[in-house]
Amino acid sequence: MSTIPRVSSGVVGEPAHFGSVLAHQPEIAESFFALYGRFWGSDVLAARIKEVARMRNARVTECGFCRNVRFDKALAQGLGEEVVDDITDGYETSARLTDAEKAALKFTDALIHDPELLTGDARAALQRHLTPAQIAELGLGVTLFLALAKALITMGLEPEQMDRTVLPTPAVLEAAE
Amino acid sequence: MSAVCAALAADPVLAEHYAEFSAKTEAALDPALVALVRAAVVAVHGMGSAPDESALDEGTRTVLAYAQRMPFEHTAITDAEAAAVVAHLGEAGFVAFSVLAALADAECRAEQVGLAELAGAA
Repeated sequence: MSTIPRVSSGVVGEPAHFGSVLAHQPEIAESFFALYGRFWGSDVLAARIKEVARMRNARVTECGFCRNVRFDKALAQGLGEEVVDDITDGYETSARLTDAEKAALKFTDALIHDPELLTGDARAALQRHLTPAQIAELGLGVTLFLALAKALITMGLEPEQMDRTVLPTPAVLEAAE
Repeated sequence: MSAVCAALAADPVLAEHYAEFSAKTEAALDPALVALVRAAVVAVHGMGSAPDESALDEGTRTVLAYAQRMPFEHTAITDAEAAAVVAHLGEAGFVAFSVLAALADAECRAEQVGLAELAGAA
């Protein structure tokens, strides 16, 4: 896995990172940030569960950038580091993760790793803990988390070193609506 | 329609945003290449036939070989492989292609997990 950018920044004076590289394609960037803001702004599925799924994806896809970013909305909903530490193999036995979060994690693993993980009891648990609308939002989120992590990694945008960084949760810009 | 769009049927605004993102990504590349990349990724997942590469130029074959590594080998792609794709598509094209290939992979996975059915849309 390369930490040397494979594409230059599209913003003069800025180093290559996801946002500056995406600037090579402003229409893709605009539509992505509008979508991502809308996704995180929706409260159909709690930001904490979305962040739990994002953290799991970061670990499985080996996205160091994703793994070190925290969104503040999920933090405000109680997603502390002691909970994040449990989002690893064996999360099923965690006392800190809720049953709904464990069901969301199983769905996440199934989507990003092996669909066979979501059969029988796991599928029933997902449908017991989340409504169809919440599952739809979770599915959108995991799809985006996975795709963006892979795009970021393959474009060589992984940081060599990065501290844990709390960022404002993506939001819909007023002018975009 | 992708499984993701289908799953979002109950939230037309979010569905529209997703469709717009996907459409803008595809619009940044040649439509024939978009179809080939999507077919190549679908084939890796065993969900369709691999595209016929017999009449394709070497640059396009290089792009497809790269796309085929996205589903299960994304961390093993080398700088040299990426440079070959950049040489064929240019930097802006490489950005759009990277998003497209990764999105195509994720959409296949969403379909395999039965997302639309789980969301009550199938």
